[in-house]
Amino acid sequence: HTNFWKSNNKSDNEEQGGHGEQRSSPARLSFGKKQLPPIPKNAAPITKPASTGTPTQSANGTHASYGPFYLEYSLLAEFTLVIKQKLPGIYVQPSYKSALMWFGVIFIRHGLYQDGVFKFTVYIPDNYPDGECPKLVFDIPVFHPLVDPVSGELDVRRAFTKWRRNHNHIWQVLMYARTIFYKINTTEPLNPEAAVLYEKDVHLFKSKVVDSVKLCNSHLFDQPKIDDPYAISFSPWNPAVHEEAKERMFTYKRRPEDHHKGTQVSGLSWVKPGSTQPFSKDDGSPQS
Amino acid sequence: MECMSWLSRLNPRGPGSRSGRSAAPSSPCTADPETCLMVFENHWRQVSWVLEKHEPSSSSDDLTAVRNHTDQMLCLLAEERPAESPEGGGVPPMGPILELVVTENILECLVQWHLRRGLDPDSQGALLKLFEMLIGQSQQPLLQHTAVLHPLLRLLGACADPELGCPSALENSLVLLLNQICVSMARQPVVLEMLFRAAPAQQGSTNLLIFSLLVPFIHRDGAIGQQARDALLLVMAASASHEAVARYIAENSYFCPVLATGLSALYSSLPRKIEVRGDDWHALRREDWMCVSSLVLFMNSLEFCNAVVQVAHPLVRSQLLDYLHNGFLVPVMGPALHKSSVDEMIASTAYLDLFLRSVSETSLLKTFLRFILLHRHDNDTILDTLLTRISSNSRLCMVSLSLFRTLLSLNCEDVMLQLVLRYLLPCTHVMLSQRRAIRDTDLYGKSADKFLSLIPECCRLNAAPSTERDEDSAFWGKGEQQTVEKEKFTLTAVVIKTPPRPSTPSRLAFFIRQQSSGGGSGGGGPSTPTGMEPLQSGPSSSHPLSPDSPMHQQQTHTECLDWDSGYLEYLKDARRGIEHCSWACRDWSAPYDGENPSPNTVPPPPPPPTSNPSMAMFPEHFSFQQGGSSNTPPGEPQPPGDSNGQGISIEAFTQELRELEDRVKERSRPACQEEDTARESLSAERQEEEQQLSSALEVKLTGDTKGEGTVVGLCSPARPLNQPASQPYTGPFMVVLFAKLENMLQNSLYVNILLTGIVAQLACYPQPLLRSFLLNTNMVFQPSVKSLIQVLGSVKNRIEAFAASHEDFPAMLKKAQQYLVARGKVDWTDSPAAVPPLRRSDSLVKSRKPSLGDLILRHTNSPTRARHAAQLALAHVRDGGQSLHSALFKGSAGASGLEKQAEALRVKNAVYCAVIFCEFLKELAALAQEHAVSLPFPHSQEAEE
Repeated sequence: HTNFWKSNNKSDNEEQGGHGEQRSSPARLSFGKKQLPPIPKNAAPITKPASTGTPTQSANGTHASYGPFYLEYSLLAEFTLVIKQKLPGIYVQPSYKSALMWFGVIFIRHGLYQDGVFKFTVYIPDNYPDGECPKLVFDIPVFHPLVDPVSGELDVRRAFTKWRRNHNHIWQVLMYARTIFYKINTTEPLNPEAAVLYEKDVHLFKSKVVDSVKLCNSHLFDQPKIDDPYAISFSPWNPAVHEEAKERMFTYKRRPEDHHKGTQVSGLSWVKPGSTQPFSKDDGSPQS
Repeated sequence: MECMSWLSRLNPRGPGSRSGRSAAPSSPCTADPETCLMVFENHWRQVSWVLEKHEPSSSSDDLTAVRNHTDQMLCLLAEERPAESPEGGGVPPMGPILELVVTENILECLVQWHLRRGLDPDSQGALLKLFEMLIGQSQQPLLQHTAVLHPLLRLLGACADPELGCPSALENSLVLLLNQICVSMARQPVVLEMLFRAAPAQQGSTNLLIFSLLVPFIHRDGAIGQQARDALLLVMAASASHEAVARYIAENSYFCPVLATGLSALYSSLPRKIEVRGDDWHALRREDWMCVSSLVLFMNSLEFCNAVVQVAHPLVRSQLLDYLHNGFLVPVMGPALHKSSVDEMIASTAYLDLFLRSVSETSLLKTFLRFILLHRHDNDTILDTLLTRISSNSRLCMVSLSLFRTLLSLNCEDVMLQLVLRYLLPCTHVMLSQRRAIRDTDLYGKSADKFLSLIPECCRLNAAPSTERDEDSAFWGKGEQQTVEKEKFTLTAVVIKTPPRPSTPSRLAFFIRQQSSGGGSGGGGPSTPTGMEPLQSGPSSSHPLSPDSPMHQQQTHTECLDWDSGYLEYLKDARRGIEHCSWACRDWSAPYDGENPSPNTVPPPPPPPTSNPSMAMFPEHFSFQQGGSSNTPPGEPQPPGDSNGQGISIEAFTQELRELEDRVKERSRPACQEEDTARESLSAERQEEEQQLSSALEVKLTGDTKGEGTVVGLCSPARPLNQPASQPYTGPFMVVLFAKLENMLQNSLYVNILLTGIVAQLACYPQPLLRSFLLNTNMVFQPSVKSLIQVLGSVKNRIEAFAASHEDFPAMLKKAQQYLVARGKVDWTDSPAAVPPLRRSDSLVKSRKPSLGDLILRHTNSPTRARHAAQLALAHVRDGGQSLHSALFKGSAGASGLEKQAEALRVKNAVYCAVIFCEFLKELAALAQEHAVSLPFPHSQEAEE
């Protein structure tokens, strides 16, 4: 058994442990060189009706009504972490209908599954972050030892034997989903056929993978499986639509929402990097 | 570019625009050029005849004749159009009259003649006006011809002549002429060069005559001063690209010293005491100073400095900044801030705050900040001095808080470093095991939940059963009553049908948080079209919302508001605040995340002061009108030196007597309150004990805790061995803010509004060190370090104790909320009428009626009249206060007036405190949540600008 997200922190006091740097994406280092365009961020993670959302123990029940905010913000915070991770080749977007369902797509750029474009959906339990680990289901069951050949569900739980708030994050699930395509694991498979083939007849395995990738890619332009305004859908390149969108993605510079140019002197700093002394930077206009 | 528009502003009369001034007689001829030339020649012949007389005549006939002819001639010259351009463009040749003027050197002859016969003021004035007309109205460029320039300089030279000089009656003409010269110079930079080089030999010593003539008018009042400053700015702008001129200005002119020392002189004529009776007054707004002529003069000159810094050559700029630092800030501002009389401290602090808000040029701001952060006056930095005043219990505290608010709003790394960060950098305030958690954000709302859980039970109650329905409706308006009663936090519900609030609300206005009308765009600010540009919005901006989202639900139920609609507003405000702050801090030198800068390499911060002078230093100057609390917590020692008589007015003295009286009376308060005070003194004692014992505690604790011991060993080698293990200290700013916060129940309403505003402002900063210190309620600090949540917890207890001892607390609470809402409405309608163009927004000081300040400051010379004016002006504000007052404390007509008032004040402060406290907790909770979902901005170099 491999526990993908080993935690060195034995402290079970969930509030006191941070996400330590030793866990910060071991896999990321090996792929991190490619700078990706920013993940499209048009998603507003949204909660299910308020009834579902009382994640925190409101001991006295007096501020239970803040519950929806907590759940919504927790998921928004998770999404923010995903963005900060800049995961290579992975794009996600929470659905319009529920912040507990995220649509995603993963691009495999080399290895056995090269050129694979796999759409998936992440289902987050509604008692997040105190419940089980999120589920990740591929739209089309990819031929892979850890992917259920019928439902398309990835065996996430093997990597997160117990979902621990503060230690486990959704970006790790996404990262894990990517890793399986580069490092094949055949123990306790959900798809025994794939596992056996990989062990016994890797050539046949490879050709099955190629077929599976082809199959997936041939359905790329299909309507999204789940009808949702924020579902990820692909269409053939249409310059009239895509050129402009691409342009905007590349030129976009984020500013504060109510930022008026020139209204405020800002970014004031005369501290020399590496120093903690005020006015240590020589800005070329010397004063005696 | 800025410069350009500003040049055009300064150019009131372009070529050809006759503004109908009567300097010159109307032209006798609009005829063809040849006729004009003939007329001109005719005049010139007759003038020449007079000029060629060898004996300089004293005949007034001669003079009259010459002047009449000259008028006609110059008028013709001004009217003349340049000759037709030769083929292929190029510079149009001179018109025939100008050609004649140049070849015959006519103007030189004229001026020489006048000078020879002795220039009487009348002729001098006439000549000044004539030249001004000529330069201002000429259809062709004149100044690049030495035949025009030299006589002009000769005339100006005469005005600069120590014997002849320029009679004050002619100053207007002189400055206007100089202004015209500068305007045409700005249009033709070559003229500057010529002015600079081609001065007649006899004027050699000051080869930029224009300049030296203008400088004395820099600080003048009225139009003449403005024209002179405008003209000088034009010279400055022109010199920006002209090294030699810049060098001349810096090395040979008195421009910079005159400007800087002038400020000093103007400062010294400012009112020493700002007479205000408004209990909430804490900062000078534009309306306040517009009617105080000395302050207007000062601000004009400061604005001029700002403009010079903006346009001038770097040489001039840095010289000016030096002079401002060493000639104004250090010798004048420094001592002013250290005056011993409280009134003067208040005034100088308010002035400094105003100056900081008015300066827009970064390098000028830097000069001010350097002065505040680094300059030592009597061994203390200005910052130290200002910090101690927060703990004073008077108007001085409010003015100081307001100044710090301004400082924080600059988002300046150097300021934040000195105020807070340098104390947090070594990370000694947190337990070692906690260091990694510094960067954690409130992912699951645990901290937010913790803050909200501190809302006292007594404030969660539904509004008191309303027996005063009728009275209420005056506040709330019909139809909303039901809603109001349902609510826990009525404050949020009040104003539904009001226009969007201005973007610069006071914190009072924030009590009328308005239901948002659109998706994410909150109550103010430009609303972004939602859903239009999905690519451009991060997760933390406005989106189309899911039908199930709580946010969405709130939009659909505008009529039945409930209290978390207020929370949504807090979330939006928090988002705006954090975004704005992290945008403003994006170019800081380090992230301040507990690793960079490394805790092990930073210099140890200064230790806490041995005694606590801040507590004892300031007498409490306040009166009931000022709304300050007269309750010194009895546990506190009486401030010594309180009434040593120095600089204390009779008024203040009587106030103090009254306060003393009150203190005596307080000792005979009812039992429940004694309990209260006992607790206070206890906590004060405990605090002291804590401080004494804390080092021992620290040792013990680190010994006790498993694993900690080794870690201590890990970090200690980084410290110099001989350095005593200093006790963790979060710096005077945090200490004084927390102390003030802990005392919330006794603070006046306005102190609490300012105070909570500052803490909220601090909590917007995205630097993990600061964020975790204020907002991470799960952090475990060293025992000697007080956390915000601890402080708030103790305030909560005090409020609950207070509520328990006052039966009518719920009713009072409701009244207080109503008053604040009504009060906020008044503020809200004060739209920011005129924000000075150069300035950053005066957002902090919007909490009063505009006309107030004028009325008060106008009468600074007559305290009696000032007071009268203030009373008149405040009548409407008072009304609100009085009605609340009488509503709160009706029927207790028995006791002595003073005693009653003191008790009333105490209760009033406590009730207001309860209201503010709950809102503050929501604000902090919202900030904690928003930090978890905010994304950092890239460095501006990475992301172009």
